[in-house]
Amino acid sequence: MTLIDLMTSKGPDLGLRLKALKKAGEHKPYDCYQCARCSSGCPSMKLLELKPHEVVGLVRMGFVEEVIESGMAWACASCLKCKERCPQDVAPADLMLALRNLAFEMGKEVPEAYTRILSEVMEFGFVQRPQEVLTKRLVRVNRERLGLPKMPEPSERFKSTFLRALEEL
Amino acid sequence: MFALKVAVFWGCITQTSQYACELSVRRIMKELNVELVDLEGTSCCGTPIKSVSAYASIYLAARNLAIAEATGLTDLLTVCNGCHLSFTEAMRFLKADEALRARVSSLMSEEGLTYEGSVNVWHVMDFLHDVIKKEAITKAVKRSLKGLRLAVHYGCHIIRPSPLGRPDDPEEPRKLDDLVEWIGAVSVNYSEKLDCCGAMLMLSRPDGALTMAGSKLKALRECDVDGLVVICPSCHRMFDERQRSAGAAVGVDVRVPTLYYAQLLGISMGIDEEELGLHLNRSPVDELLSKVKDALSP
Ligand code: SF4
Ligand code: SF4
Repeated sequence: MTLIDLMTSKGPDLGLRLKALKKAGEHKPYDCYQCARCSSGCPSMKLLELKPHEVVGLVRMGFVEEVIESGMAWACASCLKCKERCPQDVAPADLMLALRNLAFEMGKEVPEAYTRILSEVMEFGFVQRPQEVLTKRLVRVNRERLGLPKMPEPSERFKSTFLRALEEL
Repeated sequence: MFALKVAVFWGCITQTSQYACELSVRRIMKELNVELVDLEGTSCCGTPIKSVSAYASIYLAARNLAIAEATGLTDLLTVCNGCHLSFTEAMRFLKADEALRARVSSLMSEEGLTYEGSVNVWHVMDFLHDVIKKEAITKAVKRSLKGLRLAVHYGCHIIRPSPLGRPDDPEEPRKLDDLVEWIGAVSVNYSEKLDCCGAMLMLSRPDGALTMAGSKLKALRECDVDGLVVICPSCHRMFDERQRSAGAAVGVDVRVPTLYYAQLLGISMGIDEEELGLHLNRSPVDELLSKVKDALSP
């Protein structure tokens, strides 16, 4: 989707803009002067057509829902180059995370892998269970066979506190 | 007798699939007289949850830090760039925002945990470089890696964002190069050195993630290196475990022996290959190992 498609589809939403701006992180879209330095070093620009300066510009104007629905924020690799190099300390990388948070909050479509790891963390404390792996000689091994100790287990209480952390905004 | 005692946080990726990282770190720390204290009741460091909820990810980081503090130890070792960044960032947010800290503390108290923000967070890289230091590391070397030409990959999260205070320089990092050179190998400079492995993208755009990893491996093939050294289990998973798919994404059979730095250090210490998890690497590490033996022959 191009910038023009996004902007002609609907008008800006200033309330949602404020909500995005208040999300945790160090992003400051207002300080952006559209120099596009962020995009010039972005590894996702070449591969996935992500242009961080455009995302910053759209949010600044209030086209938050359009940006979220475009899925652009999920093309970011979180390499933090844009955050490091922006002359205005705008931190597009943090804005991408804020937009992802908003997508969850608003019940928008999110990548399935994120729903999966979220439920694993809730149930088990970590993003996945310990996997069996193959050795060079094709023997199946697990932590125990490798002589590694059992994984830590968060307490029963953890499940409810983590759930509450997710619900608190 | 152990000279040093530190708490250790392994994190998700290391403990659930990249066992080579855990095996090799445990083994080399023993060799260097560092006692690692495993932590009970820890969870994910918060990194992947940043995409879901900033607050919940800070909660995860803080509760793990609180568990480490409860041991009474002053130092916490991480083996992953993501865990190191998540902890450092959470400490900064909690220090700067009293209201946030009060909310996190009250939630945590239901788990019986208290957060002080008092522990020093280390990554294997700066712990070896700045705490163990050159003399002790070179003294532990028993096999020469002379003649080996290695590329290093720092990974994004250990060098950025610099205003937060990261273990090395964001544009010209040196510590991993030093660690490789201290044990006798050559660290080869290459222009893609700071390029991202793509790991975080695996969850949302795996196609792009594998192309990122593949492009870097492809570039390395053209630099005539004997291997690639990483210091993060997520980067390790991209370049080692997923090397075949990463190569396929860029249409090349890449074949670059890839290992976690602790494995390389362990090799130079003369430690048994399986104890370092070298039988678990998916990339052709045998090609590199045969050259170490060559370098040793009279
Ligand atoms: S580098 Fe900073 S100021 Fe320049 S376009 Fe990107 S966000 Fe805006
Ligand atoms: S953090 Fe995301 S937006 Fe910023 S340069 Fe990296 S991939 Fe691009």
